Amino acid sequence: MSGAETGAELRLVTPGEAIGASTGVRAGTGTLSQGENIIATRLGWVKELNGTVSVDPINAAYMPRSGDLVIGVVESVRNNLWFADVNGPFNGLLPMSLAPWKVEFGAARIHMDVGDVMLARVQEVDEAHNVVLTMKGVGLRRLKEGMMSEISMNHISRLRGDGDSTLRALKEASDCRIIVGENGRVWVDGDAAGVSFMRQVLDLVRNGGHRATFDASLEAIMNDAPGGVA
Amino acid sequence: MVELVPSLLRQELAKLAEADQRIDGRGRWDSRDITLETDCLYNAEGSAKVTWGDTIIYAGVKFEVRTPWPDRPAQGSLMCGAELRPVAGRKYEPGPPSPQSIELGRVVDRGIRESGCIDMDALCIIPGEKVLGVMIDIHVLSDKGNIFDACALGAIAALRTSTVPAERFDIGEDYPLAVSMTPTMCSFTRVGGRYVLDANDEEELGGDERIHITLGDEGHLHSLQKGLKGTFTPAEFAEILDVAQSRCAELAALVNSKEE
Amino acid sequence: MGGYGDIQLLNEDGSRLDGRAIDEMREVEVEAGVLPAADGSAWVKHGLNVAVCAVYGPMEAHPRKIQRQDRAVIDVRYNMAPFSTSDRIRPGYNRRSREISKVTAEALESVVLVERYPRSKIRVEIEILAAEAGTRCVGITAAAVALADAGIPMRDLIVGVASGKVEDIVVLDLDKAEDNYGQADLPMGILPTTGEIAFLQMDGDLSVEEFNTCLEYNMKAAKEIHVLMVDALKRRYEEKNGGEA
Repeated sequence: MSGAETGAELRLVTPGEAIGASTGVRAGTGTLSQGENIIATRLGWVKELNGTVSVDPINAAYMPRSGDLVIGVVESVRNNLWFADVNGPFNGLLPMSLAPWKVEFGAARIHMDVGDVMLARVQEVDEAHNVVLTMKGVGLRRLKEGMMSEISMNHISRLRGDGDSTLRALKEASDCRIIVGENGRVWVDGDAAGVSFMRQVLDLVRNGGHRATFDASLEAIMNDAPGGVA
Repeated sequence: MVELVPSLLRQELAKLAEADQRIDGRGRWDSRDITLETDCLYNAEGSAKVTWGDTIIYAGVKFEVRTPWPDRPAQGSLMCGAELRPVAGRKYEPGPPSPQSIELGRVVDRGIRESGCIDMDALCIIPGEKVLGVMIDIHVLSDKGNIFDACALGAIAALRTSTVPAERFDIGEDYPLAVSMTPTMCSFTRVGGRYVLDANDEEELGGDERIHITLGDEGHLHSLQKGLKGTFTPAEFAEILDVAQSRCAELAALVNSKEE
Repeated sequence: MGGYGDIQLLNEDGSRLDGRAIDEMREVEVEAGVLPAADGSAWVKHGLNVAVCAVYGPMEAHPRKIQRQDRAVIDVRYNMAPFSTSDRIRPGYNRRSREISKVTAEALESVVLVERYPRSKIRVEIEILAAEAGTRCVGITAAAVALADAGIPMRDLIVGVASGKVEDIVVLDLDKAEDNYGQADLPMGILPTTGEIAFLQMDGDLSVEEFNTCLEYNMKAAKEIHVLMVDALKRRYEEKNGGEA
């Protein structure tokens, strides 16, 4: 998503900077219509698509939206619900009724305790930003093995690649199971060599995800991948 | 704020330790890269900035002229304090000094004080009336693990490059503070069941107790501290003390290279 | 402002003691993204002042009583390091830093799109590492860059600038001696694109004409510093883009 991928003209803007005239275009995310101009509200790359001007932020906090696949960490357990840190401003809430187990009142901790890691989906976000999670759905579960790491929001698309092509190649090269949560958390499970390779890849994403040379650097370390697929 | 420790992190650190590996690829006794700058702050009479991996701290030295303590009329004083303000990380909260920041300041203070590198008698101006007080303040700006070693390094580097502002105090010409030794600290954290040198933030989060060792020029011990829940064996201590001996000498050489 | 007594603040030829022209500001350097632990950060050197700012959030506002149902609160702490001044400052909050924190927070709330993050808080930690005069302004500049670096949506940046009066002459950007012995000081936080004012304090003695000259100087300086702020933010990522653009 960072401008480097599009190959088109790259324009980096800062908050308050005029992007262009507001006539004939809509002000999309990361922008505001102010007088005759559209101005940027975030540091990021200008994008114009179907008459809408927006700014792709370079850095952004995760803001949960309904339907997001997220990796959460249990922060506290009550008699009939779990609170989970989902890397956003507010904890997500998983009610007993949306858990994948038949839970008796007061026995929630048996299934998932503080510090445990879950793969969940955002069921609903209300106006006051309360986040309700669900674990009812294919593949949603407690993640008992593997390692968890974080990358920034704007690097998620670099890790996935067009139509998840990069992610597929990485899964093959590392021979690991990999889940990229919409909340910037990445889960990896496999043998030691595969996990260690993926740790290297995630470091590259964190430190070099903005660079135009990212794809080339990634290809270079893929050659050393345990799966040997380059 | 109590940090949440994901169960997967502890599992992973244990697995890595079994294979004699670390989460960031370092060897067990490897340190992260260190950059030391001195004389970097206007208004401080001695200053240092330490960039230790992604951990960043500043240390500044100030002097004051004060009346001596009644029981030591011909001796000056030394004080070292650390601040762990909310700037340093998400987990730090505003409020009065936390037990953690007091521990940090006192452990660094002891290492410098007990090494005897400052001659308290030399800080006397007029016995019974006027002595110099030396104050080292440490400010942690970015905590990404092992702030103890970074703070100890910054403190001694700032001290060794400081100038007594004698003119401002009307007691003669400015002169460099005499510091006879370079005590440095080495910290070890139990991660995945075994000790490692210079733990990063993830290793600290998913790790257990830590041991701080301050050594002077002769390799003598000047300050020790065990922090957090956990126990260790004499054999384990002997092993890390051995590592500390060579590592502290390297850190002291780094500090000494900053002086003309 | 203190009395100016016998201290001479201007040279015979009307220039200032440090050689600057009356409408010339001290040298300014800005850097973004300097603290790895923070969500956004900035370092600003203005003359001999050094300010560092870390931004954390948006995060859940605690305690609950500070939460706003319709917007985020901006929680600013302006703090001077013990070694930042010629006489050591005892660590801890004092009345001065509390007041500066409050008005700085309100200034930042005027540009941050706080309504995007109901019930949350954004922590802004301003640390003054070296103080020469005008630290509150340097802190505001650093805070604006750190907020932008953290990806917090804002309708403009804010630039902290000050003008004042020494020996009956209006000058831009008071240094330490001018601040201590001058007759007036007018710090402002200016939105560089729109020219609106989000932060204003003043003490001393100014005529309306003198105030207007101060305002004009401040506006001019804000534009100059804004260029450096924008450059700091863009430099960080354009460099990373390997010159592809």
